[in-house]
Amino acid sequence: MAKVEPLAYEDKTVYSVGAFNRGVAQWLERLPSVWVEGEVTELRRHERWASVFFTLKDPEEGASVGVSMARGQFDGLRLDLANGERVHVFGRPQLYDQRGDFRLRALSIERFGVGAHLAALERLKTKLAAEGLFAQERKRRLPLLPRRIGLVTGNDAAAKRDVLTTIQTRFPPANILVAETYVQGPRAADEIVAALRALCEQPNVDVIVLARGGGSFEDLLPFSDERVVRAVATSPVPIVSAVGHEQDTPLCDLAADVRASTPTMAGRLVVPDLGELVQRLDRARDSLGRNVRRTLDRDVQRAERAHERLRRAPALLVERKRARIEALAGKLGTLSPKATLRRGYAIVRNEHGVVSRVSVGERVDVELAESSFGARVEDVR
Amino acid sequence: MTEPTFEQAQQELEQIVERLEHGQAPLDEALALWERGEALYAACRAKLDAAQGKIEELARRVEETRP
Repeated sequence: MAKVEPLAYEDKTVYSVGAFNRGVAQWLERLPSVWVEGEVTELRRHERWASVFFTLKDPEEGASVGVSMARGQFDGLRLDLANGERVHVFGRPQLYDQRGDFRLRALSIERFGVGAHLAALERLKTKLAAEGLFAQERKRRLPLLPRRIGLVTGNDAAAKRDVLTTIQTRFPPANILVAETYVQGPRAADEIVAALRALCEQPNVDVIVLARGGGSFEDLLPFSDERVVRAVATSPVPIVSAVGHEQDTPLCDLAADVRASTPTMAGRLVVPDLGELVQRLDRARDSLGRNVRRTLDRDVQRAERAHERLRRAPALLVERKRARIEALAGKLGTLSPKATLRRGYAIVRNEHGVVSRVSVGERVDVELAESSFGARVEDVR
Repeated sequence: MTEPTFEQAQQELEQIVERLEHGQAPLDEALALWERGEALYAACRAKLDAAQGKIEELARRVEETRP
């Protein structure tokens, strides 16, 4: 082991740079080996180099640390790591004393396993839920008729074809803007975020579909990436998420305004069926016409009935009055003295008027029903 | 003296019939009442006939102007 001896300057203790670095390095080596989690970036492997280097990045905090590993060991793991992958590195802190570079000396590397992913996902889900990113109040209604539809999808994915076919079948005049991105792998998350942003900046984009067909748990991971989930939650344009199959629930599904179980379902959600729409309009117009006509008919009938009654009313009134007058006339007829005369009676008057007693020789006027005459009383009985 | 309205004539006619029905009027008065009653009846009839004529005339005009 190299020496860490101070130089003597009277009462000061001074170390050379090499001795300082060695000293710190030796002290660091006493720290235990630990597991460190992060994202692989700037992976550098060279046949001439004894070690493989990469930077391990903390995607949440942005912190990073250099990692080195013996090339033989690294190759022996057969991990075939790529930039952007999440890993667990087992190692100890080390100071490269020649340069004073602090780094993590890796003894082993494990790719993030399903269990680790699940745990990380659960942590992220809890954190984002606590922030309210999945809250029901954040969900917006989709427009009935979007002027333009954004579609973020893989470049030749069946999901893309399903969404496009469904939209174009249901609503042929639909205007669709497609943004193709990686939908799996370490670069997917950043690309998806960029694609969403780009679509939001396009004029008249009223809704965006984020579509990806089914895939393995790892394949769907970018759609649970914190960056993607945040971009979906804060998108100024409503987003329909159609990622994976029914049973998959990537976090972007929770953050989206609407979750579609399949890409086809997403297509059905963003546009109405034109034929159905036209039919509905036609039916509405028909029933509108029918209702107006029915109301009109009813009103006409009512007016006609009223008119009929109006017309009959005066005649009825006259009839009633006539009946009354005729009844009175009938009574008048039976009560008239003339009627009595017609039954054979006679009215006898003298110069004082009607008489009920006469004397012999008296002159009287006799009135009959049809005529009258003068007479002289011959005898009284 | 102005001509009585239909209602006035009818009312008077009713009163006359009522008095004749009670049979208490002396014969001469009864005769006079009866004559008056007949006149009133004729007046009422004339007014009703005129009204009916007018109604029929109006109804015919309405019928003609119907679309």
